[in-house]
Amino acid sequence: MILKILKKDFLRKKVVTIAVFVFILLAAMLISSGTNMLIDLNNSLEHLFKVSSAPHFIQHHSGKINQDEIDQWSVNNSYVKRQQTSEMINIHGSKVYINSDEAESHSVMDLDFVKQNKSFDYLLDLNNEKIEVNKGEIAVPIYYMQRRDLSLGDKVVIKDGDLKLTFTITSFVRDVQMNPSIISSKRFVVNATDFEKIKDATGDIEYQISFQLNDLDNLRQFSNQYIQSDLPKKGPTIDYTLLKLANSITDGLIAAVIILISLLLNVIALLCLRFIILLTIEEDYKEIGVMKAIGISPPNIKRIYLSKYFTMALSATLIGYLISLFINDIFSKNIMLYIGMAPKTIIEYSLPLVAAFLIAIIVIIFCYFILRRFNKISAIEAIRLGNTGETYSNNERLALYKNKVFNPNIFLGLRDIIIRFRLYVLLFIVFILSTFMITVPLNFLNTIQSPEFITYMGVGKSDIILDIRQSDQIVKEINEVVNYIENDPDVKKYSPYITSQYEIINEEGLPESILVETGDFSVFPLDYLEGVSPKLSNEIALSYLCANQLKKQVGDEVKLLINEKPRLMIVTGIYQDITDGGKTAKANISPDYETASWYTVNVNVNKNVAKKVLEYENRFDDLKVSNPKEYFKQTFSSTINQLKLLTITAIIIAILVTVLITSLFLKMMIAKDRSQIAIKRSIGISLKEIKIEYITKAFVILNLGILLGTVISNTLGERLLSAVLSIVGAPNIEFIINPLQVYIISPIIMIIIVILTTLVSINFIKEFSISDINAE
Amino acid sequence: MDNILEVRNLCKTYIVNKRQRHVLKNVNMTIKEGEFISVMGPSGSGKSTLLYNISGMDKMTAGDVIFDGIELGSLSEEKLSDMRLHKMGFVFQQINLLKNLGIIDNIIISAYMAKSKSKKEINQQAIDLMKKTDIIELADNDITQASGGQLQRAAICRALINKPKILFGDEPTGALNSRAASEVMEIFHTINEEGKTVMLVTHDVKVASQSEKVFYMKDGNIVGEYVLGKFKQSKDDIKQREAELSKWLLNMGF
Repeated sequence: MILKILKKDFLRKKVVTIAVFVFILLAAMLISSGTNMLIDLNNSLEHLFKVSSAPHFIQHHSGKINQDEIDQWSVNNSYVKRQQTSEMINIHGSKVYINSDEAESHSVMDLDFVKQNKSFDYLLDLNNEKIEVNKGEIAVPIYYMQRRDLSLGDKVVIKDGDLKLTFTITSFVRDVQMNPSIISSKRFVVNATDFEKIKDATGDIEYQISFQLNDLDNLRQFSNQYIQSDLPKKGPTIDYTLLKLANSITDGLIAAVIILISLLLNVIALLCLRFIILLTIEEDYKEIGVMKAIGISPPNIKRIYLSKYFTMALSATLIGYLISLFINDIFSKNIMLYIGMAPKTIIEYSLPLVAAFLIAIIVIIFCYFILRRFNKISAIEAIRLGNTGETYSNNERLALYKNKVFNPNIFLGLRDIIIRFRLYVLLFIVFILSTFMITVPLNFLNTIQSPEFITYMGVGKSDIILDIRQSDQIVKEINEVVNYIENDPDVKKYSPYITSQYEIINEEGLPESILVETGDFSVFPLDYLEGVSPKLSNEIALSYLCANQLKKQVGDEVKLLINEKPRLMIVTGIYQDITDGGKTAKANISPDYETASWYTVNVNVNKNVAKKVLEYENRFDDLKVSNPKEYFKQTFSSTINQLKLLTITAIIIAILVTVLITSLFLKMMIAKDRSQIAIKRSIGISLKEIKIEYITKAFVILNLGILLGTVISNTLGERLLSAVLSIVGAPNIEFIINPLQVYIISPIIMIIIVILTTLVSINFIKEFSISDINAE
Repeated sequence: MDNILEVRNLCKTYIVNKRQRHVLKNVNMTIKEGEFISVMGPSGSGKSTLLYNISGMDKMTAGDVIFDGIELGSLSEEKLSDMRLHKMGFVFQQINLLKNLGIIDNIIISAYMAKSKSKKEINQQAIDLMKKTDIIELADNDITQASGGQLQRAAICRALINKPKILFGDEPTGALNSRAASEVMEIFHTINEEGKTVMLVTHDVKVASQSEKVFYMKDGNIVGEYVLGKFKQSKDDIKQREAELSKWLLNMGF
């Protein structure tokens, strides 16, 4: 009996039942793949950190070192498990040719040539094994393998004057420190002999003073102790937390987006189910009444219907999960390449299964609640009074004869939306979701590609940034550059900035290391989240993450150690910064050239920026010259490319969902309105006029959906993205909206698609005849 | 009097389960302008199919239907709709009012679509019709707030709003009690007296006996025609006509 009812019900609503099945299946598949991706990411990272024996604290240093001092300090420090100092030869891009006739002059990456490390921080190959290279061989970072489409056997050449060293690529480097494209240094591994040869001939030496600790929990205390010591620190520091964040941010965000899409699809599936159940109740109103009348209890009747959705939810979920097992590799491709694969565990199979069944449980609970409407059906009303439970209703205030403005067909369409809005909720929400799915990625893509995005990196907007490398003659070099720029008639304005490591006294009264940029911040002003830039020597601006960690707000005081003497600084502003782990500060204090980590000069020019960049590059050998646009392009290229792919995928999914739901909705709605359409046809209302009424409905609901969807995208979407990006230091992303794309092109495309879908979907109304209705 | 409707060799065949079912077989009939005629016959004889085919709601398989001098077979779907909208009025057994509109809106909707008068004029005309059929107090009501007889009167108002040349009724009193049925028939007579042609399809001898002419259908064809003459609307007249018609129908095998 139950089977018979289920079969009849399925045959009656074949298309829509299949559609809901597919939505549940996709939702289950995506949530399972997304979960799998997160587990993969976590396990693979753990594995990579383990096999590469990742360092816990790294101090970069340009200049001389005294290893004995470091050794002695390390031995006496109870936190330290192992210490290792590695040399890196930094070679300017203009001297390096990677399988190309063109040098890496415009690369924003620091190209560092290294030997394999001895005790930890191993550089691995694609099989997660320690790289060993022979003389004349080189291992190239995965970043370049992807960008330059390199294969084994390709060449890397270093040319400097008469020197020419050619290396054959024999491996690719999986580097726990510098894998992600957002880290702007890359390590190339060469043989020890070659290393010495390069060192003698070209490049600058930079040291990585790395530590592994006995207990990671002591990282903060250790880092403070290091800062307070007399050990070398001319350069940035990196710690374990930052390494993990940098390695997982891109894939983590993508996994989060996949799970989000899965949840959106699930919402659509639930809305479709609600629509089907409401229609089923209407159609079966009399039968349900009869069942009640002959004594079948409401829970039993409910069970008949619930069993259908129970079967559907469970089978769709199971199939979704099984499909996910085959497609997981596609999602985890990037992880496999950059981070490598850890051995699979049982959790990797069971947790995605649990996530998938969560979808089934949500569907079943939802159906259970919707089916409570059965209780309201009265046997007497259904049988004796012939109540059909239909949602048709009249509204006196919206009477046709009172309408003076609209064409009657348009008016009837509008009136129906107002009177039966509950029926249109599915379509309305789907249009909102589709708009959201298109607008948010478009806005984010546009924002990240815009020159304004640099403000989220804690840097004011400028045409050119000159990066001066730390050296023994740094003061001389800076003066030379500044003099040149000062006398350059093409320069509109410029300002040098020097970033050094300082200590700040934290909440607990302990000194903590912080990168402080010094200079005149009024020349290239920054947009502050709160407050203004520091002007006086006792003023400081903190990055968002730094202010959060120190629990400081604008107007608060904070102690900064300058030349080992504490100075009470007033916090004048808080800004967003996603660079260097997001923890930086700005102060207008006299710079300490010797301890500086880096030196930059920001320049605005009158003439062509590209030409100026070239001029500076040629004039100053050791200068890294970049225009912020180019810097961005290279640093964020992989993020932007992934975001572009994601945007296109989101647009396609949104369009497909829109077409599918619009056509399903209209077909079901028209099937429901069949008798009403036939009556209209019988009294002479033409097909064209009836179509106008349905197009009006779809058009109005779409426009309302686009309007609300755009508002939600620009407000909630912006906040959602800010919440995600606050993790890396930008808690207040403001969308840079391309009005042409968001307000004109996408709505027009949606309108065209929906109207075409509507026209195709309602075409079958011509088959309705009053004779069929009267025969019923 | 001119012919308003001429039906020549009208055939209608349905295909059910791959088998042909001939519902109308060479039907011929003529109706003059201003006539009040009824079509009778047993269930399944093809009465309603005939009505749907001569009004262009259904597509005939063969034959000609000439309405008001126009051959319906040659008209497009749009033109047929237009013809129904402007020149024909329909009243059905199931009433068939639109559920989401109030009573007055159900009446005016076809006039609004026809756009041949201003909205103000249409609204006034609807009010006049409702007064005439005694449902004016229901104008703003929902269709669930009226009796079957009242709804059928509203359906008649809808059928008349565009001043059609002919009024078709498909068992218009079939779902009504006898009092409501008589009231509806009275309205039909009034309309007919004003010069409109009325064609009813009915089972009911009492209803058919009030028409001028009765066609009898059997197995998809018109097998007889009985002329009763103009109805005088008196109780004696109706009894006499009913007896006369029953006798004829008995002979026809009804």
